[in-house]
Amino acid sequence: MQATADDQPVFTGDRRARLDAIRARYPTKRAALLPALWLVQEARGWISDAAMGEVAEVLDLTAAYVKGVVTFYTMYHQHPVGRHFIQVCTTTPCNLCGAEGVIDAFLTQTGCRELGATSPDGRFTVVEVECLGACGFATPVLIDDDFIESVTPENVPGLLQRYP
Amino acid sequence: MGFPHAPHPKETVVLSRHFGDAEARTYAGWVKRGGYAALTQALAMKPAEVVELVKASGLRGRGGAGFPTGMKWSFMPKEKTKAHYLCCNADESEPGTFKDREIMRWTPHALIEGCAIAMHAIQAEVGYIYIRGEFTEPIRIMQAALDEAYREGVLGANALGSGKRLDIWIHRGAGAYICGEETALMNSIEGRRGNPRIRPPFPAQAGVFGLPTTVNNVETLTSVPAIVAQGAAWYQKLSLSNPKSAGTKLFSVCGHVARPGNYEVTMGFPLQELIYDMAGLRPGRTLKACQPGGSSVPILNREETEACRLDYEGCVAQGTMLGSGGLIVFDDSADMVYQIMRLARFYAHESCAQCTQCREGTGWTVRILERILSGKGAMSDLDLLLDVGEQMTGKTICVLSDSCAVPVASGIKKFRGEFEAYITGARKPVLAVA
Amino acid sequence: MADSPPPVRLTIEGAQVVVPRGTTILEAAKQAGVLIPHYCYHPGLPVAGVCRMCLVQIEGIPKLQIACATPVAEGQVVNVFPPEAVEARKGVLEFLLINHPLDCPICDQAGECELQDYVFREGRAQTRYTPTFAKRFNPVEEFGPDVLYVPNRCILCTRCVRFMDHAAGDAVLNVSERGDRALIGVHPDRPLDHPWSGNVVDLCPVGSLISRDFLHKARAWELDKTASICTGCSQGCNIGIETRQNTVVRLRPRSNDAVNRYFMCDHGRSHYRWMNRGDRIEAPLVRQDGALVAADWDEALRQSAELLGGAGGDVVVLAAPHASNEALFLARAVAGPRFRGAFRVERVADEHPLPGVPGLALRGERAPNVKGAEMLGYAERFADQLAGLRKASVALVLDEALDGIPTDALAAVPHVIYAGTMLPEAARGAAVVLPVTTVAEEDGTLVNRDGRVQRYFQARSGPGMARPAWWALGELRATLGRGEPLGSSAEAFALLAAEVEGFGGLTYEGLGLLGAVLGARAPAGVTA
Repeated sequence: MQATADDQPVFTGDRRARLDAIRARYPTKRAALLPALWLVQEARGWISDAAMGEVAEVLDLTAAYVKGVVTFYTMYHQHPVGRHFIQVCTTTPCNLCGAEGVIDAFLTQTGCRELGATSPDGRFTVVEVECLGACGFATPVLIDDDFIESVTPENVPGLLQRYP
Repeated sequence: MGFPHAPHPKETVVLSRHFGDAEARTYAGWVKRGGYAALTQALAMKPAEVVELVKASGLRGRGGAGFPTGMKWSFMPKEKTKAHYLCCNADESEPGTFKDREIMRWTPHALIEGCAIAMHAIQAEVGYIYIRGEFTEPIRIMQAALDEAYREGVLGANALGSGKRLDIWIHRGAGAYICGEETALMNSIEGRRGNPRIRPPFPAQAGVFGLPTTVNNVETLTSVPAIVAQGAAWYQKLSLSNPKSAGTKLFSVCGHVARPGNYEVTMGFPLQELIYDMAGLRPGRTLKACQPGGSSVPILNREETEACRLDYEGCVAQGTMLGSGGLIVFDDSADMVYQIMRLARFYAHESCAQCTQCREGTGWTVRILERILSGKGAMSDLDLLLDVGEQMTGKTICVLSDSCAVPVASGIKKFRGEFEAYITGARKPVLAVA
Repeated sequence: MADSPPPVRLTIEGAQVVVPRGTTILEAAKQAGVLIPHYCYHPGLPVAGVCRMCLVQIEGIPKLQIACATPVAEGQVVNVFPPEAVEARKGVLEFLLINHPLDCPICDQAGECELQDYVFREGRAQTRYTPTFAKRFNPVEEFGPDVLYVPNRCILCTRCVRFMDHAAGDAVLNVSERGDRALIGVHPDRPLDHPWSGNVVDLCPVGSLISRDFLHKARAWELDKTASICTGCSQGCNIGIETRQNTVVRLRPRSNDAVNRYFMCDHGRSHYRWMNRGDRIEAPLVRQDGALVAADWDEALRQSAELLGGAGGDVVVLAAPHASNEALFLARAVAGPRFRGAFRVERVADEHPLPGVPGLALRGERAPNVKGAEMLGYAERFADQLAGLRKASVALVLDEALDGIPTDALAAVPHVIYAGTMLPEAARGAAVVLPVTTVAEEDGTLVNRDGRVQRYFQARSGPGMARPAWWALGELRATLGRGEPLGSSAEAFALLAAEVEGFGGLTYEGLGLLGAVLGARAPAGVTA
């Protein structure tokens, strides 16, 4: 993910054009909120209070309203995360297939040691998530935008090497 | 199945015919396989005729509720005085379910075709495919297919030369199981928190943006083109048991099985054949329990599983529900108490927070189960769990609350011994909770 | 004339009720004298249906239904207290209490808390959420200059969020997070400082949103509550003055659909400390040997009557536009045929509407009885009359604080009778000083900007020998031989109504607690 400087507005140039194209799909400005928040996260890696204020202004909403939406959806980061964000499913179908062993392997191999924490070198953050909708391919893992199936504790080290 | 294994001989392959076939993803590949002929046919029919056809087929919603699709479409205003909308529910988050993902990543054009036919039937010019945010690959593939569809004139201002406008957009979710509930999905499209709405009004009267809307599941919509092409009678005949449940269904088999995956069988198929003969148990293991329709349906023990037929009525007869068809299998090594606790944690995490019973009850349920698993439970906890579950049932805006209570209640009823073992200390604690 | 749809007849708890089509069961139940327990519902806000407290049984429908969102239907039979519904509500209360702390001993809401009320009525005696489970904890937050949020007590009814969004038109409150982690939130860049934000404290059913101004000041059961009218501007919001041991500690809105519905603005709400001021004139004063000395009422009134009776020229009445109609009317009466009435009013440029209630705003006209003064013959020409005082015989100053007036401004007129609450420098040359009561210390009426005459009632006792202005002026009038003494402000009002056009047909009884619009033949007010 490419970050832009935090003090610059997100919705300029190409990104503004993309937002405008998205807005045209809906009869209200409010409906472009989830897509707009994805654009912010794409640009910055997370969504700050200031960014929420910018989105609010662009879409004629209040900043408090935007914050209420950001905090509802778990995929929007409200603080900076590691360079690579790892989401491991441990809900029952995957739990039956050893998902907790997978998440332990990630915690150990990344150096994160704790769920939600970023590794000391800033490279990884590991979180436990709910059902990822790939229960037949246990254990599925999302690393950044890569949806990886059938992860076992054994293939965790090799997987991590692909994410510098 | 088609992917990752070749279809099993006992399957009836309709929806999954092209799973694993990369060429089927492309417009050219899809047309070569007969794609978009049904849409062409439908566009030449009157909307009401398409509705009647789907009604006659007996197609029922494949997302979990099983509501007759043609009837749902018929709730839309016949006379169009304002904009109508179709929302395709691709939020697939019910634990155990992974069929819509496969449909989208192998046959994206099938979904587009199904959406387009539905939009014509309900007189909608705009459709949104609400795809959960985590489905990065289906989103990429669906977007590429939509781009092709526009390029080829299937979508746009003059769909397939019919003079009708059909626009379909992807709306990406951002991590909320509750957005699979149709009114929460509509709120999410509107840029709101994914809170389910009180009803009335119903979506067909006032849905997304307050306008007439129909929300359908991916598998439901993908079933439509074949019905248009081959007729209602053909679809009706795809049933082993009962005319009220027609067609084929993708069953997402997962958990303690040797060959997990999506098995496509006709309605009324015996559940035990799916588990024993097709997916197969792991070597040396015996079946303890299953949930045939995702984590929100009552747990079946082995006897009930072996007696169960996979259609809407057959499942109800065994005291469970067909639901989404997400079949979670528990063999004799499964710790039922732990897995039920993990399910309760799921619901507690996903509760939207509107209704008191759900907001507080899911968390309380988790804490009692954790207490039992940490060796600090009491026998009275079981009655407490059942009572809390009772208060969480039938009293809220949506059924997430009920869905948390269901596995707990059926688990205590059928596997009480496992709970008691933790309480009496016969089984050592597996959690350390303060 | 269009045909309105026929009303709906239904049975609620055995009582037959007839209501307009579209009424909710919860509102219809009020007619049957049944209060269906609820939290998130409020008649001034859009329906949410989230607390699930108002679950009732409707015969023929298997599942319990929420009364706040279910419209009535012909022939419906609704039961509020069958065991299933009572159990369900008991369940809601138990769920609310699992994280809600036992803060009652330190919570301002105690005694007027809807959670306490319903738990006592329908809740469990003991919780089953055992002590080994920790309750959710979050520290207190300052939402704005006055409003504090105690997250632990919040029951997520969302009344506050809906108020700010729909009534105030400024969505600065949100629901944040999900599940039992959910809280009310603000964005750090926008505190809760909207001119109508104090209403969220009233709306909060529990002690989660509280007022810093009222924090730990009094216990709800110690408070005496009296109906009154806000004097902050000319909107005339209906309020309640709440006192503890004769000290005003809080003002809160009182509902009146025709004026302020359920709300009052922050300016009016905070405008009460002056009612407790101790630097009051506590005895009548007369001039003796060049100085003002305390006297009794008889002497002060005798001297005043002498001055007014012997007045050869104009009697200028400089009145404040918060004086009651009764006082203004009687001041004109005692001034006689050479009456010149004037007032001045603070006018602020900006108005602050509450968009969700049409016609409701904090008005730029910062006084409650401008219209009354005008109707009773007073003109907004204070400066002119002040300048022309040398041509007058007597100046009768009625409750005007004379702020910003030079101390010798009244020196030009031979005689000054000062009827007021405090003694300003400019009035020290007065011949007679009459201590009068404030709006909190008497009964009377005011006319708001929309021409609505509204009653206010005595909430505290005035200091020392202070008496209502209507009484003092009524005595003066009697002494001057212009009528009988008046025994009550109601009698004063009756006199006024008989003589002043527009007030005709109005009586105190008819005005009741909701008032009536001037010029209406029959009083529109509903008695208490």
